[in-house]
Amino acid sequence: MNYETIIGLEIHAELKTKSKIFCGCSTQFASEPNANTCPVCLGLPGTLPVLNEEAVRLAVKAGTALNCKVNHMNKFDRKNYFYPDLPKAYQISQYDMPVCTDGAVEFECGGRQVKVRINRVHLEEDAGKLIHLEDEPYSLVDYNRAGIPLIEIVTEPDMRSPVEAVTFMRMLKSILEYCEISDCRMEQGSLRCDANISVRPAGQKEFGTKVELKNINSFRELQKALEKEEKRQIELYRFGESHKIIQETRRWDSGKGRTVSMRSKEEAHDYRYFPEPDLLPVIIDEAAVSAIKDSLPELPMEKYRRFTQEYGLSGDDADILTGDRHLSEYFESTVSEGAAPKTAANWVLGDVLRMLNESGISSSEIPVDPVRLRRLISMVEEGKISNTAGREVFREMFVNGGSPEEIVEKKGLTQISSEDAILELVRKVIAENPKSVEDYRGGKTKAMGYLVGQVMKESKGRANPSVVNELLTKELNRA
Amino acid sequence: MKISKDDVVYIAKLAKLRFSDEEIEKLTGEFESILGYFQSIDRMDLETVDPDEFADGRETVFRTDENVISGDREKLFRNAASMRGTFIQVPRILE
Amino acid sequence: MSGGFTRIPGKDCGFMSVCEISAGVAGGKYSASEITEMYIEKIKSMDDGIGAFLTVCEESAVAQAKALDEKIRSGKKPGRLAGVPVAVKDNICTDGIRTTCASRMLENFIPPYNATVVEKLLSEDAVIVGKTNMDEFAMGSSTENSAFRITKNPRDTTRVPGGSSGGSAAAVAAGMVPAALGSDTGGSIRQPAAFCGIVGLKPTYGLVSRYGLIAFGSSLDQIGPMTKTVEDCARMLEAIQGRDDRDSTSYMGEYQQDYAGRLGRDIRGMRIAVLKEFFTDGLDSEIASSVNESVRRLEGLGAAVDEISIPAAGDGLAAYYIISSAEASSNLARYDGIRYGYRPKEFADVDELMEKSRSEGFGAEVKRRIMLGTYALSSGYYDAYYKRAQKYRKLLRSQMAGVFEKYDLILGPASPVLPFKIGERMGDPLQMYLADVYTIIVNLAGLPAISVPCGISRDGLPIGLQLIGPHFGEAVILQAAYALEQELKLEL
Repeated sequence: MNYETIIGLEIHAELKTKSKIFCGCSTQFASEPNANTCPVCLGLPGTLPVLNEEAVRLAVKAGTALNCKVNHMNKFDRKNYFYPDLPKAYQISQYDMPVCTDGAVEFECGGRQVKVRINRVHLEEDAGKLIHLEDEPYSLVDYNRAGIPLIEIVTEPDMRSPVEAVTFMRMLKSILEYCEISDCRMEQGSLRCDANISVRPAGQKEFGTKVELKNINSFRELQKALEKEEKRQIELYRFGESHKIIQETRRWDSGKGRTVSMRSKEEAHDYRYFPEPDLLPVIIDEAAVSAIKDSLPELPMEKYRRFTQEYGLSGDDADILTGDRHLSEYFESTVSEGAAPKTAANWVLGDVLRMLNESGISSSEIPVDPVRLRRLISMVEEGKISNTAGREVFREMFVNGGSPEEIVEKKGLTQISSEDAILELVRKVIAENPKSVEDYRGGKTKAMGYLVGQVMKESKGRANPSVVNELLTKELNRA
Repeated sequence: MKISKDDVVYIAKLAKLRFSDEEIEKLTGEFESILGYFQSIDRMDLETVDPDEFADGRETVFRTDENVISGDREKLFRNAASMRGTFIQVPRILE
Repeated sequence: MSGGFTRIPGKDCGFMSVCEISAGVAGGKYSASEITEMYIEKIKSMDDGIGAFLTVCEESAVAQAKALDEKIRSGKKPGRLAGVPVAVKDNICTDGIRTTCASRMLENFIPPYNATVVEKLLSEDAVIVGKTNMDEFAMGSSTENSAFRITKNPRDTTRVPGGSSGGSAAAVAAGMVPAALGSDTGGSIRQPAAFCGIVGLKPTYGLVSRYGLIAFGSSLDQIGPMTKTVEDCARMLEAIQGRDDRDSTSYMGEYQQDYAGRLGRDIRGMRIAVLKEFFTDGLDSEIASSVNESVRRLEGLGAAVDEISIPAAGDGLAAYYIISSAEASSNLARYDGIRYGYRPKEFADVDELMEKSRSEGFGAEVKRRIMLGTYALSSGYYDAYYKRAQKYRKLLRSQMAGVFEKYDLILGPASPVLPFKIGERMGDPLQMYLADVYTIIVNLAGLPAISVPCGISRDGLPIGLQLIGPHFGEAVILQAAYALEQELKLEL
């Protein structure tokens, strides 16, 4: 008996605005609790919300990037419940008239063409943060996060495996980052995800009972949690106990590696939604939507397609490059300066990425501009300097600036390609390393590598390795 | 309008209010008469009315996305009964 | 009383208007400090017998007055309310001054900011002398629901001053201040104004900022002036109205700037509608005759008065109580003892903290309304109650808009009953609610309305007339109210 897995996701992303959704408090991380608060986001008596226009713009941008329909009119509603991190005891959210509806994201995964439909994208405010003390009977509340604008993205249950779900999340993250809508850092909480999962016997039309999973803090946890829950449900089916799958919320416990039923609270979640009387409806006209659509950058899937088809890059390479919009733009600038795509890709994915990781500098601020990189690449391609030297030059440019030509000059890195000069070094090395020479002639081809290395050392890395190889082989085979 | 004591107890829970038995008794009676009066809204002919609540056609007012420092944090939290450093302190919550 | 006040008229029992004071202080005739001192003295000597104030701001008022005197002395031009002592209803936030909503829940709450209207008053150089008593969280029609004290009607201290702005009404009626701010959600300015024999105006929804008004019914609340004369009322309105970036429901369009200057204009040709639905069985006969007499006098001044019917107008109470309770249940959910407000002495956990805080901090009427509102919004009932009430509201609005196409204003009584005895109506909440029948349709439709004294009962109790205008028609209702006031010249 085969079982089919049905997965839907509910995602929250913090919007990259300077100020909160209903007040002017900063959204920047603040080390001091309650530093970014004011009477409005604290919900002090008498205060009123005023809507941040950038939050709306970013929500519309997200919707258009996800191919949604942008509703001409959307409005806010109050979601009423009591919790210490919710200052007004209601969250201003959107219930029946959200910003966007009916979108879709398509991608290929495991040989299947997957289309995940987006049910809605709506705006809401975030709540504060709670810290529970370990050895004292207190909890502490910090309202810095209260009022930060969020978009909630709800998908239809269109994913059929944990891998599809994670792939979708990666795509979504990539899209939101490309469009500069959100920082999308799951570990920091600017991207959050709850999952709904059910299974059904293959061929059955009705969906099985769905279970909600919470407390997922990374893509890896998402996959693990879904896999565990999928397994749990299928096993219950296999043992004829599928009735034990109840509609509930289960908490992913990464320490224990399993999902745990949350203590169901008797109080039904009756949120008593009603339209927010302190805010007026938001009208978004077609011109505004067009303008936002036009401002969308090329999206990752499109770039990926171009990189693999037009530039002939491998899927993996294209994946890494398109995973970071600034990196991919850097790469393309280098290509448009005249570098061959595959070569440029090697450099970007090799030395550039390595230096970025080492230095912690962001890909939007690479200190070596594409023009200089292209010139460096040309110097290596033309044999003016060796590959090794080229990488040294790049490092120097990255850390201290300067042009490739200057650095090569200053450090005397010009590659020695003259056969005469190299021959001299080759002969010197052969003379000084009789044992290795004997080993080589005795059939130990590895000794060649050692001898080449010695010639390179003698030349301070400047000898053209292919010439060295050629001449060394010739000399060794002579005697 | 029939309303049971259980209904009243449930509503009290939703509203985070607690009442004594006598108070529940009294409230149930009051609810019955008040809600009975509210029933008059049932008798009105509202079929012709468009359910869209926004009658006056006004459009939303926006705020530009910029930071405004809200002044004194001491003042903001002076009414808080219990603080630890700059955190607000409450009894430990079990999740 | 010290002799230093002898040159100020009305020092003991006479009356000084807002206009008189501001002109006098601006012109150097009196100093702000002596005016302030005089009124603080009045409050101190009279309020024990009335109970209008919850907080008297002697220190800050004296400092404000002193600063104003400095400002004038240095040659700077003072604001249009220079030196005018104003009382503010205790649900309007005042920075650094206790704001309680007459509730144990906020007994020691000190707001860290001023409401926009307070900022406006201060920028016009008014002097805030105190915070007035009210029904707890503005829920009530007699000020008997205050957690702290009873306010007595200055006309007859065995009777209520009306509510919920009873403290403000009594303070003005007794001459303790020339002007006060009240708030009106279902009649809370107009009814106490009628009960105390003063002028009270509820502006068009959105004309006056709600920022800093501790919310009760968000789609219904408005702050408005309460004064002895119509001219004073006009001046106060000019000072407090205006767009506010901090209130999204605040009106951002064009509106009248000058009301006082338009008073005294001829009302000949004004078309006035009298609502048939107002003249029900429950209407006290003395009030009915007083209103009818006013109609005759207005006709005598050249107005054309017709009787009309607005079918929906008689059915407003249910919708009003559903909407206001629903919004209130949500607005008052933030009071849980965590960030501010009453905290119980003992609690085992956070849930108990919140529950006890609310149950002990709120009075019976507030809890009753929260329960009603929660019920109306709860799953299964939202469509039947709240949604239907909003539909009714739309219907009412369009019917009233239709009336204003043919008429300049609507006229009727402000209250179906005369001021009742303290304690008389506390037993039956429904009965109390039913008395709001004339005022609530105004809030539901967002229209402006004024209550102006139009008569005195046999027992010497004031009777108020309500004039309702179209959206942003404050100028019209003030004009008509002024004409009537000048015509009747009531000795109150």
